[in-house]
Amino acid sequence: MASISSLVEEQMRTIIVGVADYKISTDPLTYIATYALGSCLGITFYDEKRRIGALLHAMLPTANLHAGQKIREPMFLDSGIPRVLSSMVRAGAKKGDIRCKVFGGAQLMATDNFFRIGSKNIDMFYKLSQEMDLDVVAWEVSGRVNRTIRLVNHSGDVIVKVPSKPEFIR
Amino acid sequence: MKSAADFQTVVEMTRSIPCAPAILPKLLKLTEGSSAELSELEMLISLDTGLATNVLRTANSAYFASAQRCDNIADAVLRLGSKTLYRIAATTLTGRWLVHPVRGYGWEPGDLCRHSLCVAICAEAFAKTTHLADAATAYTAGLIHDLGKFALAYANFSALDEIASRVPDEFASWREAELAVLGYDSAQVTKALLENWGFPAPFISVGFYYHAPSEAPEADRAIVTLIHAAKHVATQLGYGVGVDGFYCDPDEAALKAAGFKEAEMDAAIPEILTTIQKFISPEGEINFI
Repeated sequence: MASISSLVEEQMRTIIVGVADYKISTDPLTYIATYALGSCLGITFYDEKRRIGALLHAMLPTANLHAGQKIREPMFLDSGIPRVLSSMVRAGAKKGDIRCKVFGGAQLMATDNFFRIGSKNIDMFYKLSQEMDLDVVAWEVSGRVNRTIRLVNHSGDVIVKVPSKPEFIR
Repeated sequence: MKSAADFQTVVEMTRSIPCAPAILPKLLKLTEGSSAELSELEMLISLDTGLATNVLRTANSAYFASAQRCDNIADAVLRLGSKTLYRIAATTLTGRWLVHPVRGYGWEPGDLCRHSLCVAICAEAFAKTTHLADAATAYTAGLIHDLGKFALAYANFSALDEIASRVPDEFASWREAELAVLGYDSAQVTKALLENWGFPAPFISVGFYYHAPSEAPEADRAIVTLIHAAKHVATQLGYGVGVDGFYCDPDEAALKAAGFKEAEMDAAIPEILTTIQKFISPEGEINFI
């Protein structure tokens, strides 16, 4: 006889989030996944009471460099995070009940002048999380690994996969 | 895998992979030539069913199509022009080769193809702004820059696991670990493959020196530095990056000498990403055209 967890597993569907995009689900039987974060940040947002989850895959820290241009808000942390939060509230979540987990921000070998998107993203997320009073319950950032993540929308767990290593849960 | 003979084995094994991009150098030469060579170009494309199909499909796509449907290669060659033809050929031929399932580097199927495509698109974008190389040449150089890693993975060496286990504790960079464990590195394999296929010297320099453009011959240093920059930006984007990806050393001296600036590279990323997303879906599927 199949276990409850395997029955749940069979019913789960997966929503994929591309780079510079976000997705929300109010269906507990959903995974929200994004591949290969690299130096980008993947941020999960989860309202446990209402089982509403979201995942943002942001590439760059700030939209300031592109002032006056038409931008894709989820591409940047400072425009993407407010967008996700307001969409979650519209979907029924309560801001005070949302918890965040943050992943990615991989960094190349030490350099003072080039290719620092990973560290800039992490710094910007830290700043924004303070300013916006985000409840950040897990940090799995930096290092030299390319992370793929999957938010389990009935628990808020995040399944993390890196090349050549077994999956683990945060 | 420690002797020089093993290096030859890797190169020889790679010869047996179907769809090698061996006709690319000839196509490159023809697409640089005059209209008198169009018939030869048409014949070369017609010899490869997959390539001919992609050329016809593109000629009839919404972007290129006119009132009249294009149903033969000769018309398609005229409609698309040599630059577009070359881009299609390079992507189709290299991409088809790179999607063979291989083990190693923690890659998922098609990962090296995804990453190489991103390097190619970054290289093309930087070529247009820096003028360090012709955009079509930069695109192709991006596609082929790391073929040696594919060859090593195709050879299915357990040595790749040993390299992964010794980085970063014993060796700071992946290349140092390759040299210590294998006795040679993937750049040497790339160079041997490109030489075997008759690629022009700048491509061979890209394959061999892209890790350290300061060491490249002066004549090729500009394009090698361009690919070095494109490689690092593409790595940050994450597409297809394996366990080796973040263990490479930026050559700041070469980047500065070539005029690269971090803010300008970062500012180019949104447009680069939009181009990449035309080729790679959120699910990771690759669309060559």
